[in-house]
Amino acid sequence: MTTATEDVSPPPGQSPPDGPSWRAAGSMLEAFGRFPGWKRLGAAVGVYLVCLGLFAAVVGTQKANPIGVYDSIVHSALFSPGSLPEVLLRAVPIVLAALAVSVPARAGLVNVGGEGQLIIGAVAATGVGVDLGRSVPGPLGWLLMALAGTAAGALWGGIAGLLRVAVSANEAVTTLLMNFIANDVMLYLLYQPWKDPTGGGQPESRPLVATEVLPRLFGSSINLGVIVALVVALGVYLLVKRTGWGFALRVVGGNQEAARRAGLPVKRLMVSSMAVGGGLAGLGGMLYLAGTQIQLLPGGTATYGYVAFLAAFLGRHDPLKVVLAALAFSAVAVGAPGLQLNYGLDGNVIDVLLALIVAAPLALSAYRKRAF
Amino acid sequence: MNGFEQALTTGVEGGTIILFPALGELIGERAGIVNLGTEGCMLAGALAAYAAGAATGSAWLGVVAGLFGGAAVGFLHSWLVVKQRADQLASGLVLWFLAIGLTSVLGTAYVSKTVTALPIVTVPGLGSIPWIGPILFRHDPLVYASYVLVPLVWWALYRTRAGLVLRATGERPEVVSVAGRRPDLVQIAAVTFGAGLAGIGGAQLSVGYVDSWFDDMTNGYGFIAVAVVLFAAWRPILVLLGSYVFGVALAAAAVLQAHGVAVNQYLLDTLPYLVSLVALVVFARGGRSRAPEGLARALTNTS
Amino acid sequence: MQHKLRSARGSARLRISIGAASLAVAALGVAGLGSGAASATSSRATSHASAEPWAGAKTVGFIMVGEESDEGYNQAVYAASLRVKKDLGVTTLLAANVPETQQVTTVMQQMVNEGAKIIFATSYGYQSYAYAFAKSHPKVLVLHQGGTYTGGKFPANVGTYFGEAYDPVSLGGMAAGAITKTNKLGFVYAFPIPQTVDNVDAFELGALSVNPKAKTYTVATSAWCDPLKQKSAAAALLSQGADVLTQHQDCQSTVIEAAKAAHAFVVGYHYAAETLDPSGWLTGSVWDWAPLYENIIKTAQAGKFTGSQYNGNFIGTFKSGDNPLTLAPFGSSVTKSTQAKILAAEAKLKSGTSIFKGPIYCNSGKVLVPAGKTATPAQINQFTCFVKGVVAS
Repeated sequence: MTTATEDVSPPPGQSPPDGPSWRAAGSMLEAFGRFPGWKRLGAAVGVYLVCLGLFAAVVGTQKANPIGVYDSIVHSALFSPGSLPEVLLRAVPIVLAALAVSVPARAGLVNVGGEGQLIIGAVAATGVGVDLGRSVPGPLGWLLMALAGTAAGALWGGIAGLLRVAVSANEAVTTLLMNFIANDVMLYLLYQPWKDPTGGGQPESRPLVATEVLPRLFGSSINLGVIVALVVALGVYLLVKRTGWGFALRVVGGNQEAARRAGLPVKRLMVSSMAVGGGLAGLGGMLYLAGTQIQLLPGGTATYGYVAFLAAFLGRHDPLKVVLAALAFSAVAVGAPGLQLNYGLDGNVIDVLLALIVAAPLALSAYRKRAF
Repeated sequence: MNGFEQALTTGVEGGTIILFPALGELIGERAGIVNLGTEGCMLAGALAAYAAGAATGSAWLGVVAGLFGGAAVGFLHSWLVVKQRADQLASGLVLWFLAIGLTSVLGTAYVSKTVTALPIVTVPGLGSIPWIGPILFRHDPLVYASYVLVPLVWWALYRTRAGLVLRATGERPEVVSVAGRRPDLVQIAAVTFGAGLAGIGGAQLSVGYVDSWFDDMTNGYGFIAVAVVLFAAWRPILVLLGSYVFGVALAAAAVLQAHGVAVNQYLLDTLPYLVSLVALVVFARGGRSRAPEGLARALTNTS
Repeated sequence: MQHKLRSARGSARLRISIGAASLAVAALGVAGLGSGAASATSSRATSHASAEPWAGAKTVGFIMVGEESDEGYNQAVYAASLRVKKDLGVTTLLAANVPETQQVTTVMQQMVNEGAKIIFATSYGYQSYAYAFAKSHPKVLVLHQGGTYTGGKFPANVGTYFGEAYDPVSLGGMAAGAITKTNKLGFVYAFPIPQTVDNVDAFELGALSVNPKAKTYTVATSAWCDPLKQKSAAAALLSQGADVLTQHQDCQSTVIEAAKAAHAFVVGYHYAAETLDPSGWLTGSVWDWAPLYENIIKTAQAGKFTGSQYNGNFIGTFKSGDNPLTLAPFGSSVTKSTQAKILAAEAKLKSGTSIFKGPIYCNSGKVLVPAGKTATPAQINQFTCFVKGVVAS
């Protein structure tokens, strides 16, 4: 996907189009020269081995056999009945919430609000879905729920974008705060107006009717949401890499001042990138609701939004790489229960592994940036 | 004690749990590094304090352990960010996950163990002033320590050479380099020390205020600490106020209910976050210029 | 051009991290293939002639929402699972700290992969996940700890159970009502779900039975375990004058410690924690799930689950002698005469009287249970109002 562009080197003698990117390209070459492929690979392998070793040490302190633990994760995630569809299903909200980080990142904005945007998307989709019931045919119901979820997420992200351009309120913090607000909004609705009157008093919305539930594919437990997530990821890839809007975002992210002087509507681009990002996560919330959860439940998003932030980082904000990272995280989560069942390990131990998987490229950052 | 006083008293106690990490975060951010893993530092501090307190029977040794627990996580963050040039926000989140996982695994043995908590000490004289006394001067000693810490941090930042170097590092590390100092070391020290304060905040929670250890017991308060620093515009005194606003909002929810005042608990729960958002909006007007320049650069995603 | 250069730079960076990530995954994969399916060597249930797929089940799974050492709800489940293992000789698969999310489904699937034929999902919030799993896995017996199924006809492989928690809670309320000097009792709870509303109501009714002036003040924390909010709640109740605290939270030590520091009394819930505060502990309601678990498992092993009393909303009661929630031992502060009154009330409950016998009024003045009527368990499980005497918003 990037092979066409990666060996483009600046023609000698030609004046650089703009400072930073010229320097960056130069530094890239320098970095390549200084760290030939095998060395970079060696560094990556080494750091990952260290991180996997650290996790082994942690489980070792709990008297679990590290080899067995890794075997258990892989076995549970990839080779046990029903695990692969589960990995795909779980990846859906993570992929979309990660794309929600990646799009604003193009414009230099940090969206830590994937969690809240997922929640508010699921909330809006529930409102529409429960209200519609059987009054519309399935596909129209899905579409309306998806629109509602996307719009709500876009609003949640867009507000943070607006606050950023209007009063310079840092979006990393506002999106973070809005996660908590979204969660409280959901709790309020679930414990009061939306509580399922037939649900035994438990905090859950009325379930979606059967026609509103996303259909399963190929007789497996995989549902339409998986396909939608992949298509959307591809769409986002094209959007940010092949459209003028995507290009403009890159310019804004690279140098706001230059973008402004070039006549780009910087503020509008920033807000729209946050809204698009939020909308993606909102759609993720809707797909998760209509595909997997069927009814709105408290705590259902399970920190997927934060995991997604790390997936976006691991995928370096490239939509397709982000999908792979999200799948990897999803697999780790699906592989986790085996550790409890077979080794009596604490369930949260998997967070350590997840952290170390991301810590490895973080520790390698210097190799990438040394030439700066 | 009437409800109003009670809300303020509990607000100070609870606010202190946010104040320590927020002050620590302020120091780190002044040096140009944001630590989104503050939540993780608090968790590490809370468990280290509780474990040490249980092992030695001394809550004070617990507080010291809390300091080191938080600092250890913070050091890791600063090493990744400063030495390995890692993305600050990603590194912070990673350390949060790491701390949740590790404290949960290692903390299982301490759930429902008991320790002797920090004592409540009434300050002689001051403690008997009507109104002010109970609200401000009948707490555990860490609360008093925070009263001293706020002006101390202010003084150190604005009136000492070390503070000047630290602030300069947050603005223009190159200038600090030229002046013959090591900005990287300044940043590592600042973040590590700040995380140590977050660890003390965790200790104030586990061995000071609630006297228990539970998995993930910080419940997001570390993130609130990060938000407080931003809406306090990196000023120690506003950090103090912001922390107390949070503490009082949390306490008010309980006090109003205990008095049978009809409240919507979910709306009330959103209040601290809404207040923060509003404060951010009100104070942020032009606030970006007040942000340490290095920090502003770091908070802009350029990968 | 600029665009292309930038993406070139980006893609090289990507390759390092993604390359490294896929390497890690590959390494994991090799480890997995290398040692084969060693982890799947769990006992397979022996096939039985009986029609019920779980007949003769030898492996039972237990899923807990919290820590197995929380001196609370989850430790009670954990303790019972140990008893089940010892008494019945079955293999138990335990998963603690499982949040009420999709993770429940994953854990249940793993348990089935490990040979479990019977799974106990022991948190209210697992309800939807448990029922959905049962539907897609008709050969697995899924039991939900909640007793709140309302979906119409019961599937053959589902059971849900609970106890009349409110019975022992009302006895704890008596202990509180008898000892209070201020006539103010404090109740810290998480969310107003029916099980909690029932407990608050029963607590107040119990207190009123020995002290007509007793009022119960409530604070909700909106979290099952947030020690900071619990402490604030306890402090607010204590400063309001409450001298006895009780709670319906997953983790109980924070409130107990707060009461202890204020020299107030506590009535426990979930797990006997009198060691935390020997002088302040009055009594409490504690879970003893093992007998019920064992009865359910034995019924299933015999292939007689479907159509049995457990294949429905099973509520253990004092009357039938199978209430999983029992009265904890009395603390030293409870006087002999109060103890006698409480034991007499317990005997009455065991003979079949109910604490929810009309007339009972909501604190809004509305009739909750009309005079001459007794609320049925199904009605009690739908209670949404606090009774007169409860101070709550």
